[in-house]
Amino acid sequence: MSYLSIFFQYAGQYLKTRLTYRADMLVEIFSDLLFQAVNLIFILVVFGHTSLLSGWSKDEMVFIYGFFLVPFAIFGAFFNIWDFTDRYIVKGEMDRILTRPIHSLFQIILERMELESLFGVITGLGIMFYSGHQLGLSLHWYDPFVFVLLVAGGALVYAGIFVALASIGFWSDSKTDIMPMMYNIGNYGRYPVNIYNRIIRYVLTWILPFAFVGVYPSAYFLGRDEWYGYAFFTPVIGVIFFGLSVVFWNYGVTKYRGAGN
Amino acid sequence: MDYIIDVKDLRKEFTSHSSRSGLKGAFRDLFTRNYTIKTAVNDVSLQIKKGEMVGYIGENGAGKSTTIKMLTGILTPTSGLVRVNGMNPHKDREQFVRSIGVVFGQRSQLWWDIAVQESFRLLKKVYNVPDEFYNTHMADVIKTLGIEPLLDKPVRKLSLGQRMRCELAAALIHNPPLLFLDEPTIGLDVLVKLRIREFLKEINAKYGTTILLTTHDLSDIEALCERVIMLDEGQIIYDGALRKLRENWGEGKQIQFAFAEEATHAELQSLTQGHLVLWEQGGNASNWTASVENNEDIISAVIGRVVGAKKIADLKIVEITTEEIIRNIYEEGVIRNG
Ligand SMILES: Nc1ncnc2c1ncn2[C@@H]1O[C@H](COP(=O)(O)OP(=O)(O)OP(=O)(O)O)[C@@H](O)[C@H]1O
Ligand SMILES: [Mg+2]
Repeated sequence: MSYLSIFFQYAGQYLKTRLTYRADMLVEIFSDLLFQAVNLIFILVVFGHTSLLSGWSKDEMVFIYGFFLVPFAIFGAFFNIWDFTDRYIVKGEMDRILTRPIHSLFQIILERMELESLFGVITGLGIMFYSGHQLGLSLHWYDPFVFVLLVAGGALVYAGIFVALASIGFWSDSKTDIMPMMYNIGNYGRYPVNIYNRIIRYVLTWILPFAFVGVYPSAYFLGRDEWYGYAFFTPVIGVIFFGLSVVFWNYGVTKYRGAGN
Repeated sequence: MDYIIDVKDLRKEFTSHSSRSGLKGAFRDLFTRNYTIKTAVNDVSLQIKKGEMVGYIGENGAGKSTTIKMLTGILTPTSGLVRVNGMNPHKDREQFVRSIGVVFGQRSQLWWDIAVQESFRLLKKVYNVPDEFYNTHMADVIKTLGIEPLLDKPVRKLSLGQRMRCELAAALIHNPPLLFLDEPTIGLDVLVKLRIREFLKEINAKYGTTILLTTHDLSDIEALCERVIMLDEGQIIYDGALRKLRENWGEGKQIQFAFAEEATHAELQSLTQGHLVLWEQGGNASNWTASVENNEDIISAVIGRVVGAKKIADLKIVEITTEEIIRNIYEEGVIRNG
């Protein structure tokens, strides 16, 4: 599998470069942790005084946030494509990418990876174990496997949405605020969707399916069997959205105009 | 079908929106957009055989880079047929680019932050080059280009000339049979230019590498290419031997006179009456240039008559340079008896 060995070569190079700038890396990890702590405190404060919100307890909310952090960390580590238009289209860096014998999206993932984001996985697991313990949840032998599958699905949902957005750059390189807006919308997925009205719930499930990154898969571990259907649908949605976004990307590449010098 | 590059009626149009002025214009833009279409490459056909070194020249904006980007699979043509190394560049892109090397002088192909050596190592992996081949082949390339001392420096710390030599080496890691060079000598000093030319000649002789290069420096072309393709506003206006171009256009010679005293146009013209001579004044009234046909009798006769009548400080016979020939062609836009 040559893509895998190319991946490790890049990852090795990445770590080597990062370790020579150790201070930068520590600052980044620290600011990530701080950001996660602020979010957690927000949840505790806002939902702390009501013990139940649309049928969800505080510990369940915290659990969902913990789960969300894991696919989000994986997405953050490999899909840093929020500045794709500026970096690759406007500056014409895509020229270089297209003269190399690897799929263009894969090359950009390799070039833009930020492995320190993966620390979010540890934070997320920590939060899940803590709140799971509070809730008295028990683990089955197959749960870790289900977990991996659901996390992969969630990360693919995120990746699919952002790859599709980045592809728009192939047609138009004008500046838009759509990327930051989408990051905000993504945050809605970490709260139970039944606290929202029907339209938002529909959007978060079928149009911009961020609910598959947080609530739905978490419902499986929380034993909320009324949501199991959605929970198991997570990997399917992930594969469909990511697959479509790659098709869209490939089509976009044929529309690439290059930067006039 | 032993052409390594085979292109027929290749065309690339860029559409761009132009916005109308004023509030009313902006409102109308909402409903109907104004498009302007720029034809960067206009039905170009060309064929290049294995082992050729071809110079692709033309003024700024003629469409050279756009052609190269279509031949390398970066841009999708608007219409036309392209076969390069027997493949369709934008269709089988990932497979295709294994068989070519590309250098854009204006833009780095290497990773900015990492050492040159590390870049090479990543590319070796990307192209899946076997160890033994890499070791012997790259050692040779590195030595010829003289880049050993640069290998452990990050690319952003290299000078332009140093970087360009590294770019060339990087483009050759997989020893491609076809090399595209878009302005590889831009901004380089004479020594680096010479070194790069020598290197290109060497790989062409050693591996039979086909090379298509664009440049604004005609001495590159004179040193390397027997064949030139000249592009003007997206169309080929000359495709043939550089020698032929000189024969058709540079048939004359110039005799440069520096007189001991001042001379006038009328005076000189009356001296050389009977011959087709074009007199032009040089820097001052005692420097004159006579353009004549390339014919020994005429040259001798003109010199004889002038020298007989006026005192001479200096005298030189020069051929019209390729530079001047090309400039004339650019100015007129078309080829005489081409
Ligand atoms: N991405 C683009 N969008 C719109 N127009 C473009 C684009 N790229 C090139 N052009 C236009 O196409 C024409 C040809 O450009 P090209 O870069 O091929 O010229 P060139 O021959 O390489 O010139 P130079 O010698 O300056 O490098 C120019 O008029 C240019 O403005
Ligand atoms: Mg150019």
